[in-house]
Order: sequence, then structure tokens, then C-alpha cells
Amino acid sequence: MKKLNYIPFVLIGSLVIYAACGKSFLDIPPQGRVTEDEIRTNPTASIDLVNGVYNVMWLGGFGPDVHGLQFITLTSISSDDADKGSTPQDYEPALQIDNFIFTATNPIVQNYWTGLYQAIARCNQALDKLPLSPLEAAEKNRLIGEVRFLRGYFYFNLVRTYGGVPKLDRVPTPDEANSDEFQTRATADVIYELIISDLQFAVDNVPLKGATQVGRVTKGAAQMLLGKVYMYRKNWQKAFELSQAVVNSGLYDTLSAYADIWRAKGANSIESIFEVQTGTNAACNAAIELYANSQGIRARKGWSDFGFGFNNPTADLAAAYEPGDKRKDATIITILPNGTVLWDGFRVPSRDSVENDRYSYKAYHSRTQEPYCGSPDRTPKNLRVLRYGELLLQYAEAANEAGNGGEALAKLNIVRKRAGLPPAVSGGQADLRQKIWKERRVELAMEHDRFWDLVRTGRAGAVMRAHGKAFMDNKNELFPIPQEQIVLSNNRLKQNPGYD
Amino acid sequence: MKPGLLKYVAVLMLFLCTGLAQAGPPADPVKGTVRDKEGNPLPGVTIQIKGTNQGTVTQPDGTYSLNVTDPNAILVFSYIGYTPQEVPLGGRAVVDLVLESSASELNQVVVVGYGTRRKRDLTGSVGSVSGDAIAAQPVNTATQGVQGKLAGVQIISSGAPGSQPQVRVRGTGSMLAGAEPLYVVDGVLTNDIRNINTTDILTMDVLKDASASAIYGVRAANGVIIITTKRGRVGKMEVSYNMSVGWREVASLVKMANSAQYTDYLKDAGPNVTIPSYNADSDWYDALLRKGMQQTHNVSLSGGTEKFLYYFNVGYLTDEGIVRSNKYDRFTIRSNNEWNIASNLKFVAQVSYMHNTTQNVNLAEVYNNTYRAAPVIPITRDGKYGNTSAFQNVGNPILSIDKVNDRYKENRLQGTGYLEYSPWEFIKLRSSMSANQGFQNRRRYNVAFLNNESTFLVAGGNQQRPESQLTMVKEEGTEWIWDNTVTFQKKFDRHDLTVLAGFTSQEYQGNYLEGLRRNVPNSPDLWYLIAGDPNTSTNTADGDKYARRSWLGRINYSYADKYLLTASFRNDASSRFPSDNRNGYFPAVGAGWVISEEPWMPKGGALSFLKLRGSWGRIGNDNISSNLYILTANSGLLYFFGGTPTLGTNLADIKDRNLKWETTEEYDFGLEFAFLDSRLTGEVNYYNKKTKDALVTVKIPGLLGDPDNEYTTNAGSFVNKGWEFTVGWKDNISEDFSYNIGGNLTLNDNEVTGLNQGQPLFRGGVGQQGNITKTDNGQPIGSFFVLDAMGVFPTQGAIDAYVNKNGQKIQPNAQPGDLQYRDVNDDGSINDLDRIYAGSYQPKFYYGINAGLACKGIDFSMDFYGNAGNKIYNGKKAFRYEVTDNVEAKYADRRWTSTRPSTTDPRVLYGNTPASTYFVESGNFFRLNNITLGYSLPKRILDNIKMEKIRIYLTSQNLFTSKRFSGFSPEMISSNPKQDGFLSLQNSSSPLEAGIELSPYPTTRTYALGLNITF
Repeated sequence: MKKLNYIPFVLIGSLVIYAACGKSFLDIPPQGRVTEDEIRTNPTASIDLVNGVYNVMWLGGFGPDVHGLQFITLTSISSDDADKGSTPQDYEPALQIDNFIFTATNPIVQNYWTGLYQAIARCNQALDKLPLSPLEAAEKNRLIGEVRFLRGYFYFNLVRTYGGVPKLDRVPTPDEANSDEFQTRATADVIYELIISDLQFAVDNVPLKGATQVGRVTKGAAQMLLGKVYMYRKNWQKAFELSQAVVNSGLYDTLSAYADIWRAKGANSIESIFEVQTGTNAACNAAIELYANSQGIRARKGWSDFGFGFNNPTADLAAAYEPGDKRKDATIITILPNGTVLWDGFRVPSRDSVENDRYSYKAYHSRTQEPYCGSPDRTPKNLRVLRYGELLLQYAEAANEAGNGGEALAKLNIVRKRAGLPPAVSGGQADLRQKIWKERRVELAMEHDRFWDLVRTGRAGAVMRAHGKAFMDNKNELFPIPQEQIVLSNNRLKQNPGYD
Repeated sequence: MKPGLLKYVAVLMLFLCTGLAQAGPPADPVKGTVRDKEGNPLPGVTIQIKGTNQGTVTQPDGTYSLNVTDPNAILVFSYIGYTPQEVPLGGRAVVDLVLESSASELNQVVVVGYGTRRKRDLTGSVGSVSGDAIAAQPVNTATQGVQGKLAGVQIISSGAPGSQPQVRVRGTGSMLAGAEPLYVVDGVLTNDIRNINTTDILTMDVLKDASASAIYGVRAANGVIIITTKRGRVGKMEVSYNMSVGWREVASLVKMANSAQYTDYLKDAGPNVTIPSYNADSDWYDALLRKGMQQTHNVSLSGGTEKFLYYFNVGYLTDEGIVRSNKYDRFTIRSNNEWNIASNLKFVAQVSYMHNTTQNVNLAEVYNNTYRAAPVIPITRDGKYGNTSAFQNVGNPILSIDKVNDRYKENRLQGTGYLEYSPWEFIKLRSSMSANQGFQNRRRYNVAFLNNESTFLVAGGNQQRPESQLTMVKEEGTEWIWDNTVTFQKKFDRHDLTVLAGFTSQEYQGNYLEGLRRNVPNSPDLWYLIAGDPNTSTNTADGDKYARRSWLGRINYSYADKYLLTASFRNDASSRFPSDNRNGYFPAVGAGWVISEEPWMPKGGALSFLKLRGSWGRIGNDNISSNLYILTANSGLLYFFGGTPTLGTNLADIKDRNLKWETTEEYDFGLEFAFLDSRLTGEVNYYNKKTKDALVTVKIPGLLGDPDNEYTTNAGSFVNKGWEFTVGWKDNISEDFSYNIGGNLTLNDNEVTGLNQGQPLFRGGVGQQGNITKTDNGQPIGSFFVLDAMGVFPTQGAIDAYVNKNGQKIQPNAQPGDLQYRDVNDDGSINDLDRIYAGSYQPKFYYGINAGLACKGIDFSMDFYGNAGNKIYNGKKAFRYEVTDNVEAKYADRRWTSTRPSTTDPRVLYGNTPASTYFVESGNFFRLNNITLGYSLPKRILDNIKMEKIRIYLTSQNLFTSKRFSGFSPEMISSNPKQDGFLSLQNSSSPLEAGIELSPYPTTRTYALGLNITF
């Protein structure tokens, strides 16, 4: 065979080309992903980040949770207004919370923590980038205000659930992330200071309802939430002023038909002050995961049901309504022995066709009369976070505590009037206080307020124990810091009293 | 310079150096090629004209050329380890020869990466297994066939069809999921060899120590497995047909409680639960599992001439798997061709294609549900399914299998072409281009069904799918690798020098496209997206790209076959690290001393070979995802403002912007020996492997807001050190009777020596028990860290008597029948501070034993495999989702009840029963891995029917296992190989949480009958 002798040059040539290839061969940006650097230089990026904060309010399911079933469990099933429901054996962690026999390893306690901190991280990311935005100052401050409102709301839920928590008010640098500053708990007072400064910024920089898109944070929402926070801090004067400002804005009123507030036609109504927006899309996932469906009617036989059947209104709650209170049937679906017809005409066949006696009407979403695109876990039900009915009671309570019993009674009676009840009569500040609290329970039933409200007003122990729960004073007012988080902090997070 | 000039200058210099210049008039030389039995060329064979001093040695390609004046001369071919042969020339001009090995173990040529070495010349640790030994077993992936055959190589295999076993070379070499070795198939670097037909494999060589593997630099940290496929040899065409047919069944099953035991258990665990009265006693595993047929067929052609050699194989494999509706079919073609274009120029093309179809089952879900499903619910009755979901929130696993059709098709084209050119005999230039391409598509149809009486015996529960759903996925990946090397090999007197230098680069690009529509009719002919509701149409896509560039070099030097020296170097740059940390340098050195060659060693005694060697090397690991140091954003997050959909973004994951190489440094010392004419051979190795800046995915506190609460960083350092022993005996008693017996043993000790932020790493979440492993200084990676369960309180008296030193009751709230935990810190209460280390999944030692004999036409072989000293966490037993989850029969029989005050098993198991040693079990096992009995027809019959070989055999894989673990299998791959992303295929089990049994595919037992025909 012949020998061939010219090939070395091809190889040497290719070596030269190869060496010249240089460094760029290895500089490969992420494929299909926008990088942080690109966000910095993109003028609309900070707006996108703000939208991303709103989106986190849909977080639910069985992982990190902001407004899903785990939120429902901690805020509602925990209270005397609701039982865990569903079948007795379904979802043991929620049963533990219903009966106050949980420990710090309860997954709900963990997932609500991680969900809220995920939401706070999105807020901090947006707040980190917003100052770099080329937007005009007013516009920029509006967006910052919206995000700070949301951060304040998330922290408010955190502090009410766990007490003092680590204060993350910015994106920590990699070096800082493991520092004691972030890995230890701030006091509840420090967290409340942060919440108040966030909400005050929102009050000062966010436009009124009507001057901004529906669904965005409004000045009224910020005023009401800040008023509520002051109510928790027992700063009655501030609570009163802020509540009054919302009333005086003239932009809100009670919706005459109470039941309509939770229907699609009542979404973003005159009553609404802040609500989580949802909708339908092709992927059919534009809603809070496991909000409506987890509370839907659960079949036992004979039909295809509407959900998992959790968070059932208790008999105790049903009994709390005065005779003739229109709100009772708007709040509770009572399953009758021979069936119950719902507002949209659907007929639940019979009591023995379902698991439970009562379901929440406020979480019911009609699949025939309201937008529905077919995925039950993401039923497009707006969550009413703040509404005028609550504002009036907040106003009334603050007024009463501030010594203005007349104003208090007037606002209380607006609420009662809509409910079809006669006006209440005040028997003095203490009597009125009790009446306002009672009204809060029935007006806001199944709206994720009851547990925190009982703790706020110091009634939790007595009420819960009377309801048969193993509630322990000076312990169960707060939920435990998740055990895994304590371990991950290298024991720098200290546990709440009683949970060690 | 002109080419000619360059060449002559070089030749002249060499001649001056070596003084080997030959004078005299040229005559027509005798030429030829010397090969071994496998057809591999043998370099360095000495050829001498008998009775003279004239001679030569063969070139790297086995060829030689020798001037012979006497046409009747006798040529003597000799080569260490091979039987010398004398060949009378008889006037011929071409003499090709096949040398028979005399002690093949030591003279075997092993592939060492960008070259080959004789095993006796190695200074590092390399293990080899022949393709025949792998193909003889009814296994689907080659790796599984290596189990128990090599010291230092631990293989954990799953029974799932089409899955790739998990390999640990010399202990857990990485904390990351990518603790898998690098595979090099004919020069193609890959993570996935499921496309390789075991029939095509000539040899598998495992580069175990850093000095051997450092030539692969950054890819080598977890060992390198080099697969060489078969080539044709000169001679007439050889046709062979190999087939086997058999079945597989589950090797070990966990028996669950029956209805009576279950009902009895629930009286204690859930007294409020109303048990539906179906009069059922369902055995869910029995409904799920089956015997699966398995068949393989292979037809191969090989042969060639001096100018062209070919090997061609077509293979088909079908494996039903042991799970209902599961199926795996694989079709492979390989064509390996070699063209000798000129005497110094060769082109080789090795191409393989694979196509497989998998009927997939979502095993994690199905196994989990099968374990939990209550026996009191019928599986099906009157054509309707039992509603486990309504009763206990567990999907009916049989229904979930029946209502999904998930078909997966994978195509892979893998090939290498190289040109090899020798301008002079001692120089070899090679440029090789390899490509690895994969195309996959997946069609998953989810049948619609409602949770009412049209589907179930009763309505309710959350197992339903109101709308059907069709998902189509297309994925492709393309990778190219360009290697350029130059090899210089020359013998100067007794100095033997080989120098290799080269560069290589590689790029991968992949993309993924997924489309989905709902409301697609339930007919396979309509399973196209167009048949679905366009208003429900969604899609998503993704991509990946990475590159590496490297320089490499190696020097092998030996003097008088006695003193051996190796040095290698590699520089790697990888796009997966930030530019400041991108370059890595990976040097290695090794030395060997063949003591038996020393003149003072007695010759002709029992000792036939003795070698001492030692080496050091540094290697790296970049087996992480592509963009782990760059912060990226998720876009397309929806929200509504004024009813208008608006998109948002968020910054996705927290990243370590200073990510760097993980590096491993390893020392290796070995002693190799052979006695009694190499009938007894053996090897002892000691290794010490230190890994620092180990890449690992760590959990981070939730307050940082990372969506999955974990990130990848350089988290720590650890050491693997150990001993390996291999010994083998083989002998031919007579022409008709030979036998062999051998074994290997590996002792490994793994210990974490440093943690970069001083933070122990907690992993292994088991439901409400939280993280059950802790990786901390002084402990093996992924050690179970749990409470110490001392037994069960049989009576209230025992609870009252359990006090600490101050007389405080330690578990005052316990009830009789609850577990008793040791108060390790003696503080009077049981909490996290009382946790202890309770072992890890890493074995302290593992071993293999093999034996075989051949007598007349009968061949018999068996091999055993086992490991010891490791622990398993029975996660499936510990992870209680609901009170109504079923329990194991053994537990039900042994648990505490008021009438049977057991001290071993607690009364009930709840989700918040703490993690404790109660769930930790021994991982020891010993197994008859393979047993084969074969019969080959005698030669005289074959000659009559013009056949080369006919062999029929019976074989069984995994016939017998002895284990202490109560679960399905002590061999655990936490989950199946990631099925999307074929080139990035990894077992997703992180070494930080290895050995937690949640829902593994059970190990299977295979019986097969096979036939080999060659003509």
C-alpha cells in the first residue's frame, strides 16, 4: 500500500484554528432564560417583577403555600368557625391543627412559612430592581408602594402566625445570607414596624381606586390594612383615622346583596377593597391552587363532586347567627336530608350522597354560571382579602375603643341593616365591644379572620376550649417555627414557647 | 519547510540517537500483521530470524516488515505472556500470525484513554471485563453485567426495564447526583450507555484510580468506564446468531396486611374510621405485578481483508417488565468498519443506532399507592374500580395505570470516525470526530374519568380527571466531540517510550418542546394535538447548551520491562463555571517496578510475575447543570389587571455565583502477582481519595425565599480510602477439562472531613419525619441521623419506670405500645438533641465470587455478589400519609396490642412518629448473581454440518438472594433515571439521601434459555 504524507499539515492547520477559537466558545449564556443582567438593562423588567409579586398570591397546593388549602387550615380550620371536614381520615396534618395536637414538624406549618418567605423574596427582588428603572418618580413610587403593600400583607400574616420572624427587608448578598442578621428572629415589634412603614409608604404613594387598574393595590386598600394593623397594635386613634379615610373617600359601599360578594358578578364590586384576581386561560391555571376546590362539596355516592370537602362551617357558627340573618345562608351550604339546591340551580342529591353537613358558600364557585375552564384545582375564584363590610366593623371597633361610641354604633348598624337585622343598641363601651366582636364573627365567617381575631382579642383560649380543642394558653396563640427551619438555621431560630 | 525535508531531518535525528541505522542493499521484505485471538493487533512482538541476530518488532498496528535473504528461513515470534511460535517462511512474502496468550491476564491490552497499554505495563489501577462475560448474562445494560466482577466497583441495579444501574467506583466520589462514572464508548464521552447492545462489546475497562483516569480530567472524578466495541478481523466472513428467551419475576416481595390484620390495626390507629363493608381482601401487589417475558435476538456478520475489516450487528430486545402494562423494546444496529487506505493511513468508522419504545408507568406514584391501598377495598368488581381515594385518599393504582397511555420513543445515533496516519512508524496522528445524537418523543394520553359510579363502586374522592389530556413531547440533543492526538512510540534499546499529546473540544446543544391539549377523544388514531380542544392548547419549550475545551498529554516510559513510569496532564475548561473559575489543571504520575524481572529474582520457581506500583493524580467533576452560577428569571407569570392578562417575572433560584471545580486527589498503591505459570493471579490495592470543594445541592433556609429551598454549591471535603483484593485461579487439567475460581473484596471507608460553611447538610425528607440524614464531619456522607429506639413500652409500668437521673419521667405522655427512645443527653425529654448516627447506605465492604468449569462440551459458571456493613432506612414504612395507609403483614403480626404486649413493634405508626432506629435496617445481602449451564456441540458434528459453533445454555440472573432487609430490595436507586434529557441522564438519587426506600422498582429474577450459533 502507498504511504500518504501530506496530512500533518491539515492537522497542524486545524490546531491553529482551534487555538484561535478562544474563550468565546465557552461563554455560553443560559438557553431560554432571561438573566439577571438582562433584567437590569430592560426598562420594563421592574414592572414585570412587580407583576410577578402579584402572581405569587396564587401559590397553593401541597408545597409552599400563600393562599391555598394550607392557608385555609391555619386561618380557618384552626378556629371554632370551621372543622377540618372531608372524610375523617383525609389529610391528617390538617386534623392535627384542627385539634391542636400538631408539633413543629407539621408540614402545613412548614409550607406556609416557606410560601410566605417566597412571596417576600419576590417583593424584595422587585424592590431591589425598581430603583434602577428609568420610569418617572411618581410611577416608580406607585410600583414600590404596591410591592411594599404586598410585603406588608405577607409579613402581617407571618407575624400573626408565628410571632417575631426573621426580618428580610432586602435581597441579602451571598455573604450576608447566612449571617445572624437574617438567620435569627426579629421581635414581633420590629416586624410590626416594618409592616407599618411598608403600608404607610403605600398609603402615601399609591393612587385611589379608579385611578389605577382594577386588581392593583389602591390607597384605600393600604389605608384599610394599615388601620387593621394598628387595630392589632391597639393604636385605636390611628386605626380610626385610617378607616375613616377609606369611608370618606366615597369610593366604597356595601353591596346590597351580601351573597353576591362571593359570586363572579360581585368580583371587584363597590364592596371590594383588595382581592386576589383570577381568570381563565388556555392552560387553565390562572387561579389560586387548591382554594375553592379544597373547600368544595365532597361526594360520598351518586354524583361527581365539587371538591375535597375541607373547611366545613361548624354547627357552632351556624348557631351564632341571629334569626333572620341573611348572611347565614349566604355563608353556609347546609346539606338537607333530601338534597340542597344551590344558587346556580345545581342540586346536591341528598345528605347521604355527601361527606359533610355543611360547606362554605363563600368558597363555592359555579361551574355552569361562572367562568370555569375545567381544572378543578385551579378554580378561578377571586379571594376577597379586604372588603367594605370588614372596614365598617374595624371602623366601629376603633371608634368604640377611642371613645366614640356613637360613630361605632352607626357603622355597626350599616352592617346589620344589610344583613336584614334590627339596629343594635349600645349598652356602653364594653357591651358594644362584645357586639362588634360578635358581628365580626358572623359578617366575616369563613373569610380567614376568625383565628387571628380570637387571639387578637384575647378570647382564643376560652372559646377554643369551649369548642373542645386542646388549645393551651401562652402556647397555641402562635404556631411553632417549623422544625426543619430551626435545623437549617443551625438552631439560631428559637422555637416559640411550649413547642420545644 | 517542505514536508519531505521535515521528515528527513526527524528521521536523521532519530537514527543518530539510536544508532539503529541499517546499512546494506534493500531486499524485498517479508511483511505481515500479528494479532491476538480477539483480532487485536499486537504491538511490540519480537520477530527474529532463527539462528541469527536479525529481527524487528511489530508496530502499534501489529504490522512488521523484515528483510530476509533466505526464503527458507524460520521466523520466531515472541511476546511476553504469549506462547512463542516458529514459522517456516517457505518462500512466502506475507506472514500473518495469531499469537495465543499464555497468561492472558497480565498481557491483556487495556484501553487507557486515547491509547492502550498492556496490563503488565500499567502504573495505575485498571479493571477489565471481557464482552463475552457480559453478553453471557441476561442483562439489558452492560454495566449490570459487571456487577461483582471487579474490586472497587460497586454496582446497584434496579429491575426497571431500560434503566441504567448506579455505579460507585471506590466509594461515593461525589455528593452530587452526578456521582456516576464517565462512559467512553469508542471515544464518545457519555453518561448513558443504555443504547449499547451488550453483544457488541469487546471489552469494558474501568479506570479506577486518579492516575489512570486523569487523562479525562474534569469528567473523571467518579471513575471512567471505557467500552470498546467489536471489530472485524481478517479472514472469512463469520456469521453468528445469538438469542435468548426467558421471563422475569419479582425477586422479593413485601407482604402487606390482609383485611383482617388491617381492620385489627385500624381499631387502634383510627378508631373513628368506618371501614367499608365490601368483604374484600385485596392483594394490590399481586394485581400490579406479573411475570414479564424477555427476549433478545442478535445477528452479526464480521470479517475482512487486509484493506477492509467489518463488523455488523442487528439486535432486538424486548422486556415486558414486571409491572402491569410496562414494556420496553429496543432495536440496535452497529456497523464498525476499518479501511486501510494506505499502509500508513487508516480510516475507522464506528456507528450505532438505537431505537426503543417504552410503555411507561409512573412508578413512583403507582408503587406508593400500592403500598398504601387498603386491602378492604376491592381492586375492581363488576367492571368498576374500588374507590381507595374516597376511603383513604389513595388513588387506586390499578386505575391510574389503566387510565394512562404513556409511550416513549427514543432514537439515538452515536458514532465516531477517525483518520489515523503514521508518517513514520513511530508517529501516529489521529483526528477523530464523534457525534452523539438523540431524538425522543413521548405521547402521554390521560383518559378522562369521573369520581362517580360510572368509574367506581362508590363516588367520591379526588381520583378523577374530568377532561382527557394529551401531552406530546419532542426532545433532541446533539453533541460533538473532536479529538486530535499525536502518539510517539519508540523502543530505544531497552527504553520504551510512548508520548501522547492532544487537544479535544466538545459541545452539546439540546432542546425540548412540549404541547398539550385537553378533550382529545380516546382513540389511538386521534392521539394528535389537532384532535383536541384548541382553546386548551398550551406549550412549553426549553434548551440547554454547554461546551468544554481541553489539552492533554501523557508520557509512558519503561526500561527493560522492569521500571515503569507514567505521567499525564490535562487542562480542562468548562462553560459550566464562571470565567474566573473555568480552568482546571489535572496532573498525574505513576511508577511501577516489575520485581519478577530483576535478575536476582529466582527464575523458574512458583512465582511468575510480581509488580509493585504507586501513583498520584488529580481529577475533577463538572457534572452539574449548565447555568448554576447565573441568576435567571422565570418569565410568563400571569396575573390579571382590569381583567387583562398581564405577564410578570421573578428571579428564579438562588445561585452560587462563585461556583468552582470539585477536585479529587488520589493516591494508589498496588501489588500484582502471578504464581504457577500464571494459574494463580492476584492484586492488592490501597487507595486514598480526597475530594474537596465537593459540589452539592444543599437545602437552604426557607426565609431566603428560594422556590425549592435548595441550591448547588461547593459544600465540603471528604475522603474515601480502602483496600481492594482480587485473586483468581484457573487451570486446564486436560484438553477437555478446565476450571477457574476467583474472588474480589473491597473495603471502603467514607468520611466527611470538612464542610465549607461549617454547616452540616440535612437531607432525605421522609414526610413529617423531616430530614433523616445528616452529612457532617467525621461521618460517612448521608448518615442516618435519628432517635435511638430502644423498643416498645409493654406496660404503663415501663413508662413510669423510664426516668432520668433526677427521677423525671422521660416520656410521660407515652402510652403502652409506644416506642421508647433513648434520652441521649439525659435531659429528661426526647427531642432532636437525642438523635444519633445510625449508619449509612454506603457498605463497609462488598465482594464478588466467581467460578466456572468446562468439561468436554459442557460449560458451567456462577458468580456471587454481596455487600455488608450498610444500612437502609425503611422510608415507605415511616412515611405515613394517612392513618388508613396499609401496613406490612409482618408488622401487623408483631405490633403491640393489649393482648400481645410486644416489645419490638409499636402499637400504631403515625405520620408524626419520629424518625428513629426502628426504621433503620441492615443493608447486608449476598446473592447468586448469575448461574449458567451451557452445552456446545462437539467439533466433529459441527464439521459435518459446516458450523463453527452451536451452544445452548440455561441461565438465571439473581436466582437466590440472602438479605436481612424487609423491603423489596437492598439495592436502591432512589428513582428511575431521569427520562427526559438523554445525554444528561443521571439517577436522581443524591448520595446525601441514599438508601431511603420509598418506591423502588423491585429487583427481579430472570430465567432464560439461550442459543449461540456461528457459521
